[in-house]
Amino acid sequence: MANRRPVRLDSLDELPLSRRELLMGAGGLALAGTLAACGGGSSSSSGGGGTSGGGGGTPKPGGNFRLGVTGGGAKDMIDGQSIITKPDQARLMSGWETLLVYDEQYKLTTDGLAQEATQDKPNQWTIKLRDGIEFNNGKSLTADDVIYSLQRILNPKEGLFGGAGLSSVDPNNIQKMDNLTVRLNLKNPDSTIGDQLGQYYNGIVPKGYSRTNNLKWVGTGPFITTSFQPGQQSSHKKNPNYWRTGQPYFDTVTITDFADPTAQVNALLAGQIDAMTDIPFAQIEVAKQQGGLSILEGQGGGWLPLCMAVDMAPFTDPRVRQAMRLIVDRNAMLEQVLSGHGRVANDMYSPFDAAYPSDTPQRAQDIEQAKSLLKQAGQDGMTVDLHTTDGAAGMVDSANVFAQQAKAAGITVNVKNDPNYYGNQYLKLAFSVDFWGTRQYLPQVANGSIPTAPYNECHWPPKSGTGSDFVSLYHQALAEPDETKRTDIIHTMYSEEFSNGGYIIPFFNNLVDAYSSKVSGFQVNRGTLNLDSFGHGYRTIWFSS
Amino acid sequence: MTDPAGGADTSGAAPRRHWWHIGGIFGFIVRRTLLGLLVLFLVSLIVFAATQALGDPARAILGRTATPASLAALHKQLHLDQPVFQQYWNWITGLLHGDAGTSLSAQIPVTDYLKDRVVNSAFLVLLAGGISIPLSIAIGSYAALHRDRPFDVITSIVTLAFAALPEFVVGLLLVVFFSTNVTHWLPAIAAPGKRPWQDLEGMILPTAVLVIAVTPYVVRIMRASMIEVLESDYVEMARLKGLPERQVLIRHALPNALGPTFQVIAINLAYLAGGVIVVEYLFNFAGIGGAIRDSVFNNDLPLVQALAMLIAGLYVVLNLIADIATILVTPRLRTRL
Repeated sequence: MANRRPVRLDSLDELPLSRRELLMGAGGLALAGTLAACGGGSSSSSGGGGTSGGGGGTPKPGGNFRLGVTGGGAKDMIDGQSIITKPDQARLMSGWETLLVYDEQYKLTTDGLAQEATQDKPNQWTIKLRDGIEFNNGKSLTADDVIYSLQRILNPKEGLFGGAGLSSVDPNNIQKMDNLTVRLNLKNPDSTIGDQLGQYYNGIVPKGYSRTNNLKWVGTGPFITTSFQPGQQSSHKKNPNYWRTGQPYFDTVTITDFADPTAQVNALLAGQIDAMTDIPFAQIEVAKQQGGLSILEGQGGGWLPLCMAVDMAPFTDPRVRQAMRLIVDRNAMLEQVLSGHGRVANDMYSPFDAAYPSDTPQRAQDIEQAKSLLKQAGQDGMTVDLHTTDGAAGMVDSANVFAQQAKAAGITVNVKNDPNYYGNQYLKLAFSVDFWGTRQYLPQVANGSIPTAPYNECHWPPKSGTGSDFVSLYHQALAEPDETKRTDIIHTMYSEEFSNGGYIIPFFNNLVDAYSSKVSGFQVNRGTLNLDSFGHGYRTIWFSS
Repeated sequence: MTDPAGGADTSGAAPRRHWWHIGGIFGFIVRRTLLGLLVLFLVSLIVFAATQALGDPARAILGRTATPASLAALHKQLHLDQPVFQQYWNWITGLLHGDAGTSLSAQIPVTDYLKDRVVNSAFLVLLAGGISIPLSIAIGSYAALHRDRPFDVITSIVTLAFAALPEFVVGLLLVVFFSTNVTHWLPAIAAPGKRPWQDLEGMILPTAVLVIAVTPYVVRIMRASMIEVLESDYVEMARLKGLPERQVLIRHALPNALGPTFQVIAINLAYLAGGVIVVEYLFNFAGIGGAIRDSVFNNDLPLVQALAMLIAGLYVVLNLIADIATILVTPRLRTRL
């Protein structure tokens, strides 16, 4: 299902970054790589925040933490700056860290390798490293390593995810100011560099690093890889040089791939693993009834939009787009597609962006209004094809539920489930379903909502009317270092998309994981990675008993 | 495959012999091996044609990133720019040299990727076969000897029930009972990172599932075959001669009843090689099952082709062994070779 990804072809330098890989980099895999986003179960969450599980208490050192991860296979790899499968994410987090870090609320913090990263001028950022951090081979972290890491990300031959988001950085003009200070000179103003430096896949690697040389497992992270069998298992031991005192607590971490979630649940129930990613919804109640297990439900920001191309009939008429958005019963769709494991959305993305307009009134189903708008547009009783594919769990279900709901408004929606959708017609369709992971607003716009974006399904913005100034607003926002002013610009962009855009965004999905109650320290996390960003690289979790 | 009872030949009349005909069991093995190679050759044509018919593999691999430049580059890398015959020739000669190409997804030689997995799966299948074959022959014979008695009736019902249950249901029931919900006696999955012989405790449930999957069929055919033999003239003759019952059964009845059973065992073992996918899945076992799934999802054509040939080869070999075994236990077939 979700594993139909382009293979890694290192010799093909010209290959564009595949959409799937790009998305996975930002958490799209959370949807793409899992069977967990479909099934039945309850909508309860394990709590709004704070420590969950078998009591907090004082962390205790010791033990071997055994994690089971959904997916994986021959394509598995370990790289401080790249992933293909979900087990790759779990392994990357054990050994590498980023300059900035997103916290549990998906807010960017300076809790990473950099004690500071600031935009001094619209086209200049300065990064100040923390002193005294060592790689797990004993070498100190310096500006040279940061420069090497960023240049590696920006090197198109490496084909790394981070390259697209950092494309405004000039790789040949990254300056070493002193041993711990780096200055990035940009090709064009960009206020989103900080967001990119906090993406987990933009890890800092030592100078000279390669996936295949003798530095391949060298990072600053809490654990050191000791063995790795792609598609099966990897072992990691505690990094004795780790810079955060006291952490990590486990002696070793073992990460096992699971092709089948049933085997994963069985292994957890039998006590052969201590935690698992993506428990199938149908199994949640079973796991709860079984003593000794806890559920961790993270309110992620992944989304499955229904996309209307604003320059293709019948969606050229804003009234038709408006009518389609009024047809959706979002609660029912959330229940039917995700068994309630998500939150209703309001046709706008990036819910964790500080500028997200949560005060915009929730758009709700209004069949009468929809019918009347369609009549005004001369499209009452219209028939339209909705294209979808099994690219991420829920894409086909969403289309079917929408088609069902549209009957009430007297229109016919024919669902076209095409396995070759992404190969042939993608981005050329009037009405289609797609999937995305969590991003902040401006980086997401760069990926999907301007003409230069690689994946602009809605062909947004329109040539005239509301939204026609969207691209210039975007550039203003990028160039605006003042956060208040930038927020105002983003609000305008959001409102243009809300009132006139082509996306129907019914819900944001949750990540639902399970773990043994012996494990303490997991927190509910909004981030893109499972299990509280894998316990922040397995350093904030421990065995309480 | 040959009719185990030799029905293809006109009974009585001596078969016509050609000058090149090598007699005896040795000749038989040579002929069947050559036939097996012919079958494999035909299979290789079909596998190759099937993977061609799937369309342009480069396009399938690249999906939405297919640009003319990247397609051309990938065509060159996969040698798809060569004529079809040339491609087939490269592939088949590579196979004959033990080079099955490079896995597109793992980026290592297919043989390296499959080596450990094939051994793991073979260990599981042989373990299951080693238990289920003697077990089912014993149960089947005993049931035939005590026809319509309670043992026979119960065996009949139980084997029918097990034959009707798909492996994954059996597997799930065993896991629920022995590992997760009812008791915690046995591991629910094969120990990750260990070879199967290092983890015998973890092999109990996967082996049990396969044994339960195979045994019912073999028991039933063994019972039917044994009953037929017991009613035959030569068994009656042997008894009339005054031979001890033990000798009648072991020397005269059993070998003749085993013929058809070997054929069923061969088919079941070959089926296990494919059916093992479900079991490997359920117990997270690192065998060829996972590789099959992975290779199909990843459009990893060299891997798909290698696995298809591997399983075809297994069918051929197992059938050959079954035929030879049938002949060895059935004297009247030997005389016709």
